[in-house]
Amino acid sequence: MKTGLVLLVFVTNVLMASGAMAQTLLLKNARLVTMSEMGIVDAGSMLVKDGVIEEVSTRIEVSADIAVIDLKNQFVTPGLIDSASQLGLIDVNNFASKTDNQVKGLALGAGFSPVMAINRYSSMISMVRNEGITRAHIKPVPGSSIFAGQGAMIHLVDKGQFVTDKFQAVHVYLRESDKTLAGGSRAAALAEVIDSLQEANRYRQNPADFRKAKGREFRQSEADLISLASVLDRGVPLVVHVDRAADIENMLSALGSFELKIYLAGAREAWKVKALLADLRIPVIINVLDNLPSRFDRLGARLDNAALLVEAGVTVAFMTDDLTRNTRNLTQGAGVAVAYGLSWQEAMKAITVSPASLWGLENTGRLVPGFAADLVVWDGDPLEVTSSPVRMMIGGSWIELRGRQELLRDRYSDLHDGKVPFGYR
Amino acid sequence: MRTLFPLSILLLLTYIGIVRAADDAYPSTYRVAVEADTVIEGVTLFTGTGTVMENAWLKVGGGRIEALGKGPAPVMDGHVIRIDGSGKWLSPGLIDVHSHLGDYPSPGYSPHSDGNEATSPVTAEVWAEHSVWPQDPQFPLALAGGVTTLQVLPGSANLFGGRSVVLKNVSSRTVQGMKFPGAPYGLKMACGENPKRVYGKKGGPATRMGNFAGYRAAWIDAREYQQKWLRYRDELATWQAQSAPASGANAVSQEAPAGEENASKAKKEPVEPKRDLQMETLVGVLEGHIKVHNHCYRADEMAQIIDLSKEFGYTVTAFHHAVEAYKIADLLAENNICSAMWADWTRFKLESFDGIKENIALVANAGACAIVHSDSALGIQRLNQEAAKALAAGRRMGLAVSEAEAIVWITLNAAKALGVDDETGSLEVGKMADMVLWNGDPFSVYSRAEKVFIDGTIVFDLERDLKPVTDFELGHRVREI
Repeated sequence: MKTGLVLLVFVTNVLMASGAMAQTLLLKNARLVTMSEMGIVDAGSMLVKDGVIEEVSTRIEVSADIAVIDLKNQFVTPGLIDSASQLGLIDVNNFASKTDNQVKGLALGAGFSPVMAINRYSSMISMVRNEGITRAHIKPVPGSSIFAGQGAMIHLVDKGQFVTDKFQAVHVYLRESDKTLAGGSRAAALAEVIDSLQEANRYRQNPADFRKAKGREFRQSEADLISLASVLDRGVPLVVHVDRAADIENMLSALGSFELKIYLAGAREAWKVKALLADLRIPVIINVLDNLPSRFDRLGARLDNAALLVEAGVTVAFMTDDLTRNTRNLTQGAGVAVAYGLSWQEAMKAITVSPASLWGLENTGRLVPGFAADLVVWDGDPLEVTSSPVRMMIGGSWIELRGRQELLRDRYSDLHDGKVPFGYR
Repeated sequence: MRTLFPLSILLLLTYIGIVRAADDAYPSTYRVAVEADTVIEGVTLFTGTGTVMENAWLKVGGGRIEALGKGPAPVMDGHVIRIDGSGKWLSPGLIDVHSHLGDYPSPGYSPHSDGNEATSPVTAEVWAEHSVWPQDPQFPLALAGGVTTLQVLPGSANLFGGRSVVLKNVSSRTVQGMKFPGAPYGLKMACGENPKRVYGKKGGPATRMGNFAGYRAAWIDAREYQQKWLRYRDELATWQAQSAPASGANAVSQEAPAGEENASKAKKEPVEPKRDLQMETLVGVLEGHIKVHNHCYRADEMAQIIDLSKEFGYTVTAFHHAVEAYKIADLLAENNICSAMWADWTRFKLESFDGIKENIALVANAGACAIVHSDSALGIQRLNQEAAKALAAGRRMGLAVSEAEAIVWITLNAAKALGVDDETGSLEVGKMADMVLWNGDPFSVYSRAEKVFIDGTIVFDLERDLKPVTDFELGHRVREI
């Protein structure tokens, strides 16, 4: 009896410590953006149990002991997914001691993983999360090599598994500004990619060779070779950061025989080769807002890149791609894509369903039974710049929407009454 | 402080006349192309003065706003182009007080990098207009976002970066053809990290206290230069008064008859001091006809800059990038200084660490002048969205801010900071017809500028696919493969 009580207390504590995971909760009277064939369900109800969506319908009856929240027909969307970010690697950019997004001077390229540098407790995390973002693909940027390293998936939970997939992709950069890392010519950069893949292929076929030769006959480190072997196995995609239409064509032509899974990122001129991309089923990850012809390989940058690609049948996902300044503006980019011809539904897909599919996230990105209860309640249309999350649930737990910025705001919201110094407010 | 500089008003005015002649050395050649009179009717009209009029009309004639009102437009004589504004919004043309378009154009290669004369911490002698490339393809992108007027500033590497220029966002072969007629010049100053970073290992300043020593030394030099010219004017006047009656018709002759009793007083004509461009700009600030635009992030630094301005007897027009303005909004209101701010930029450098989304609304709420600026060729395309974000953040914390007030942050307040508010920045009778007709509420992400008017001329039209195409863009931007 006594043991039973202790056990009960113990179990209760564990459950409380893990938030509302074990709760069953009914969200009713919500405008559910299900991202499924149900579309938007007005005055909808959703039953959440143990962090999983159990039922979605216009009417759900529950017993009196189940907690019910009336959302007054506010929008509810799945948690949003940023398809390329450096969140957690940078607290403040513009000074190197605070950044962990690249390696320089080491013989490490495709094998570099930034995962062990991710700071899940950075106040940046809650700042970005408060914009409705619950997951992000974290990418390294090139340091000494055009191969920047491995991308990872983070889940912006307070507790539990933060890095949910340590190795999701290899990032290679073939933009105009990257070619100096490969001898100064685009052709040399592409040759380096081919050579690296061929070497990885040799390694893959007989890893013992590498050990016998103590790596002497190999240009790359074993970490790089292992990483690229996964690309060759189609275990992870090769994410190619490239902008110019001709560079996209040449890269696809040069790498065709490897039969890799290729994603494009950046891809400011992708719209020019949209038919080719649709034919080869190559998805494109874009930062909608960046439409400047800021380099010669971006002269074709335009705000309707997404609309043109989707119209041609290309899968599109959105990224913020910024160090810190615009990391929070995922929805603004999606909204602008709508202003420039993309449908609202397709814009929502590019920050929910499509990234979930591209990054292999199971049961994520829709509000349907069996999917994870990562959800955002908004005070307006989620893609509007005037809208903001009012509640967010991640992994079944409501999270705190007050972060460092809100504390600053509250400290200085009233400048009168100088009796108490601001440091005590 | 003023007692340190007991100057006669008369001499001051004479002096201003001389220095301002230099201000006109690169005059505006912008001419208004007057089109037929236009009336827009049935539109939701933001005046830019804090009010909104539903179902309003506005008449443009001779490039100026002739009349406006509520309800149906009155019957008008002569040929008038009528534009149906129902379901649309009309606002003043947007104004960006902080831009580097033309000085940091796209494509952004080093041969194009003309925004920072980072060769010395004091370069008040450079003028941003001498760097502006009118073929920068970013000008038309800003126009598509409804920007009709912008201030191009030198960069922030230096304590004194140089003179700014106010431009109309019009297509022109020359920067003179874009210069806003009659707009005063600005002086770019910078606080904090940037001068320290750029000069820390190049002889300094290496610290914030070094920055201040640099500002003060320059203002002391400017006061000396000012005195030198005042003395010269004084001596010249004395000499002219003495020599005029004595030598009869030939007043300027130095061959005055000698040997008379006042011969000892008949000095030579005083020599005009050599002009110093750096000092001319600084003295222009001291005389009050060049406006100070001070890049300054932190509240504590802004407070010290205010004291600096009082020490040397000038005023700061606006703090730019005032990320921490909310911490001293009362002080800014009291000193009548505008804050030019981003809606949500933060953490891109250490001095931006305390940026919050409510900054702009909190500054406005304190009764201080709030402006949304861009400092970005991307941000300048979406000033309305940035204002919308700031408005929403303010409302969310319970501040009573309206859309009609928020539009002032990107129109009239910006015009005031640039000293062109008599001419543009609001939809009022007599002002330049600089306006944007939006295809929806400008505070919505889905809305776009449908027609942009500058001095009554439609310079951008979404429906007719009318937009300027720069020389640079010709031939390679539009083709699909």
